[in-house]
Amino acid sequence: MSGYTEGIIILLCINAIAAMGVSLLTGFTGIFSLGHAAYMALGAYTTAILTIQHGVHWFPAILCGGIVAVVVAYLIGVPTLRLLGDYYAIASIGLGEAIRLILENWQSVTRGARGYPGIDPYTTLPVAAGIFIVLAIGMFNLINSRFGRACKACRDDYIASSLLGFNTARIRVVSLMISAFYCGVAGALLGGFLSFIQPVMFDMLKSTELTAVVVFGGLGSMSGALLGTAVITLVTELFRPISQYRMLIYGAVLVIVMVIRPEGIMGNRELLSWIKAPFRRKA
Amino acid sequence: MGTLLQQIINGLSLGSVYALIAVGYSLVYSILLFSNFAHGGFLVIGGYICYGILKTFGTNIWLAGGLSLAGAGIAAVLTERLAYRPIRERTNVTLYLLIASMGMSIVIENIFVIVAGGRFRALPPVIPTAPINFFGFATTSAFDLLSLVSAVVFLGALQLFLLKTRWGLAIRAAAYDLRTAGLMGVNVNRLISIVFFVAGALAAVGGIFLSVRYTLYPQLGAITIKAFVAAVIGGLGSLPGAVVGSLILGLAEMLTAGFISSQMRDLVVFSMLVITLLVKPTGLFGKSVSEKV
Repeated sequence: MSGYTEGIIILLCINAIAAMGVSLLTGFTGIFSLGHAAYMALGAYTTAILTIQHGVHWFPAILCGGIVAVVVAYLIGVPTLRLLGDYYAIASIGLGEAIRLILENWQSVTRGARGYPGIDPYTTLPVAAGIFIVLAIGMFNLINSRFGRACKACRDDYIASSLLGFNTARIRVVSLMISAFYCGVAGALLGGFLSFIQPVMFDMLKSTELTAVVVFGGLGSMSGALLGTAVITLVTELFRPISQYRMLIYGAVLVIVMVIRPEGIMGNRELLSWIKAPFRRKA
Repeated sequence: MGTLLQQIINGLSLGSVYALIAVGYSLVYSILLFSNFAHGGFLVIGGYICYGILKTFGTNIWLAGGLSLAGAGIAAVLTERLAYRPIRERTNVTLYLLIASMGMSIVIENIFVIVAGGRFRALPPVIPTAPINFFGFATTSAFDLLSLVSAVVFLGALQLFLLKTRWGLAIRAAAYDLRTAGLMGVNVNRLISIVFFVAGALAAVGGIFLSVRYTLYPQLGAITIKAFVAAVIGGLGSLPGAVVGSLILGLAEMLTAGFISSQMRDLVVFSMLVITLLVKPTGLFGKSVSEKV
């Protein structure tokens, strides 16, 4: 396998991990985020600092990166997710910008806007694929668990689900924390893949991209999120020669998908049920 | 003392520009209950129309400003027609509107990147920026006073429109309950178009002043984040709240820049957001939005 193909597959795995996290939050719990790149940044920087400054092995460092993202998600989620409305969406932009500014200005720890070079290239293909598979199995089990069904219930009708005894605010916060963990791990892997990270890599554009992928694949479909990642990552590679128009096409696609097929490619169905459907006996 | 007064004037002037943006955003939010992230795009459209007319025709600022207001207003109405109305008619899931508005904001920004280029542009010197001395206490620029005055004029006009006209009454009714307003015989689609036109025109005023204060570039719309923050501080969906929140934000930003460090000003803005959400999440004038169970 050539280095280029291998690189794209690693990138696919990383993007897919982040997309699964965002899909849980946006697709299954119905919360819109514009700051998930901040959780990636937290994961990436924590891992980089732990491995380089403190000589920690990369595997526990990646986990720590995820955990730092979870802690920050908890702190931001508790005040904002109690509220209905776009409070979390706005707070997430604020969070994204604030974290980027802190990373840029905290020279002594993060080395500022010039970026953090010399990260061990620990994200090899087996590592990325292995972590992706483990996290994917976890996520597919999670969305079919009691918790996953509770998330969907909160998304579809929070009054009804709270009458049924679900603590909807807590479910939203936990969902955010899990999605932050996935993004933190994805960020940590990205750092190991590029062996260089920079605050500007985790700006609002990246956050939008994360959400856009999930919307494109289908809100409420985990396999849709993976399909969306594959399509967008590969199309981005194809569009590299006309990079000037890339963002324009990207925004237009987002609007057109919302107007024509707001449920995305997969709707809220999973790939597996789609394949099985023709064989199912009618009840 | 002089510096303090000066920074307060600067802060109020910056805050009043935020208020123009935040009020339009809040107006849309109060009717449709979604965050219109394309709002920053209207501001950029207004700025570029003004720049283009001043550069090519060399007309005076009044004509260019008027056309830019109208242009941004029409762009806002078109955005609503093309992107939001089809979604609105099919579903009441505001998440879809939110994502479509995100897409529109990317589209508008990148149209200007392609058509006008990513360069920073300075508006021709049509708005006086000469320093003005304040009875020997402080010096401020004519521009700061002018933006403060125009913001007051436009916000006053909006207030008159909302309180004294039939459409204003309809908009106030729709802010309580869009559906019921529709049942009472208000043409909801026209009402929403009017709201978007007003929001777009106000954003254009903000855009012109911002492009004089800083410069004009396609990503200038990102500054609306601060207007969103101001709207949250004041209470989402509340117009007086948006104005007060914007003034507080402008003052905080300028005082931080003047007395602490200008690198800290954005951090102060976002920590104010977090503090508001922790202490009084509904903002200063907001309606209660916490879950009722």
